Amino acid sequence: MTDAALPLQSQADQRAIAAIRRKNAVWRRILRDPPAAIAALFLILIVGAALLAPWIAPFDPYASNMRMRLCPIGGARCPDFLLGADNQGRDMLSRILFGLRATLGIGIVAVMVGGGLGALIGLSAAYFRRLDQPLMRLVDVLLSFPSILFGLAIAAVMGTGLLSLVVALSIASVPSIARIARGAAQSIMQQEYMEAGRAVGLGDGALIWRYLALNCWPTILIYMTLQLGQAILLGAALSFLGLGAQPPTAELGSMAADGRKFLSIAPQVSTLPCAAIFLVVLAFNVLGDALRDALDPKLRQ
Amino acid sequence: MISLPVLLGVLLIGFLLLQVVPTDPATVVAGPTATKAEIDAIRNDLGLNQPLWVQFGRYLGRVLQLDLGRSMISNRAVVDEIALTLWPTVELMLACLVWAVPLGITLGTLAARRRGTAIDRAIMALSVMGVSVPIFWVGLLLIQYVGGAGLLPFQGRNGPIWTADGFMSIILPSITLGAVFVGPVARMTRTSLLETLGADYVRTARAKGASDWRVTIRHALRNAMIPVVTLVGLQIGFLLGGSIVTETMFAWPGVGRMAVGAITSSDFPLAQGAILILAVGFMAINLCVDVLYAYLDPRIARG
Repeated sequence: MTDAALPLQSQADQRAIAAIRRKNAVWRRILRDPPAAIAALFLILIVGAALLAPWIAPFDPYASNMRMRLCPIGGARCPDFLLGADNQGRDMLSRILFGLRATLGIGIVAVMVGGGLGALIGLSAAYFRRLDQPLMRLVDVLLSFPSILFGLAIAAVMGTGLLSLVVALSIASVPSIARIARGAAQSIMQQEYMEAGRAVGLGDGALIWRYLALNCWPTILIYMTLQLGQAILLGAALSFLGLGAQPPTAELGSMAADGRKFLSIAPQVSTLPCAAIFLVVLAFNVLGDALRDALDPKLRQ
Repeated sequence: MISLPVLLGVLLIGFLLLQVVPTDPATVVAGPTATKAEIDAIRNDLGLNQPLWVQFGRYLGRVLQLDLGRSMISNRAVVDEIALTLWPTVELMLACLVWAVPLGITLGTLAARRRGTAIDRAIMALSVMGVSVPIFWVGLLLIQYVGGAGLLPFQGRNGPIWTADGFMSIILPSITLGAVFVGPVARMTRTSLLETLGADYVRTARAKGASDWRVTIRHALRNAMIPVVTLVGLQIGFLLGGSIVTETMFAWPGVGRMAVGAITSSDFPLAQGAILILAVGFMAINLCVDVLYAYLDPRIARG
């Protein structure tokens, strides 16, 4: 068998291909783009701080001390509170850390639940041709609908609170993930190994899980990350309206609403949570744009 | 064509909302002294013993006759309450679109023409910031620095927009709402214009000696407007969301503020009506966008 002896690629070729792959790896593209690299670093820090909030927060975010009420940043009344105190005399820094934890946590849970459901819908639509039309029409409908109305409707039916907030944000993130998952799965459906898998007698479940899902998940995961910024923004808005997290919960949106009454005397009480939301969402969006560019072959140059 | 199932879905949500009302309507109608038999009779009269789908059918019938029930707090007809709030919301959205869309298109055109320069990067950076900022922060900053300094009113709508007081009081809400709208419009204009600027007919126009700006504005921009109109249409939902927050912050007597108030005070009939009208309004706007779309692109109207 001379064919087998003939290497398809020389070792030098393989090395060259590997080098190109490494050079074009998504994370390397991100690192070459300074704003995206900064955003990624910032998000790592923020997520770390949110995760470690119970250990790194200098004070209890719910312990109030009326003597320190509305103490400004660097005020003499509260030398230990680096970012001042809120209207109940609670340490702002600790509340921001815990607020980040709640806000990010709500967003992550919602995007994971909604994204998981969306991925299931997208993969099914790509795999079962007959389901494609009805499922994708449903997705179109969901997508065309303003997500804040889900928030209102669900808060109205289920009452205001964290659970309805997470449900609303989950529903809001289903349609875009479903579209992405379907697109990714459709290109894999055309691969020969799908046919090969069917030929060796694998069932639908095995084909969907082992071949489709495992090949699509990096794309889906990246888009779920992109979705996170939007979910956080929407969740904060709903909490700000009093339809999501309720006081005294340290959540950035409801903290911002809480501080509204003290704007003129202690602006930090609502400005700091707002700024925190802004920076986190900005970082997600900057990173998201860079990821999209890196993944879109049309824009690679 | 997708609006019909959406409309049914929204109506179903509205109907379900009325089902979770904690008080039993029959007991309320019967009054405190009624016996159990009387309550049962009234329940029969009201059709509350019918299966849910029959009740849903009746609900649809009532909605078609614009009977949305009565507010549990003011006891006024929900339709009347909505009628009062509808115009202020429309007014606010128009007051936002009227400056935010032209500004967005101008910035996007500028960025596309000066592609890769510092101007382009600055406009794009502003646009990313615009989509990332929580709308309530924009409002809070304006209230703190402009309203707090006594320069402009920030509480309520002090009359229709054509009166001096009304005009002054819409400025801050309109800036708040528009601030998050300029970014996406600028971005979409830029992307879309960059695509059309590379098209053959643009090269032809240029070859015939048309000036740079003439090519941009007369030949490329009109074609680039199609995705922008679509975007504005799609973003109307976004604008609706923003207007709910803006209205609540500025005590603007619109539908969004009423919806939030009704939900937080568990006024189910009013909440149902407000959500219904927001959804129907959203669909109506989308329909208008489709018509506008056909006007901008004759190919669609003929096809």
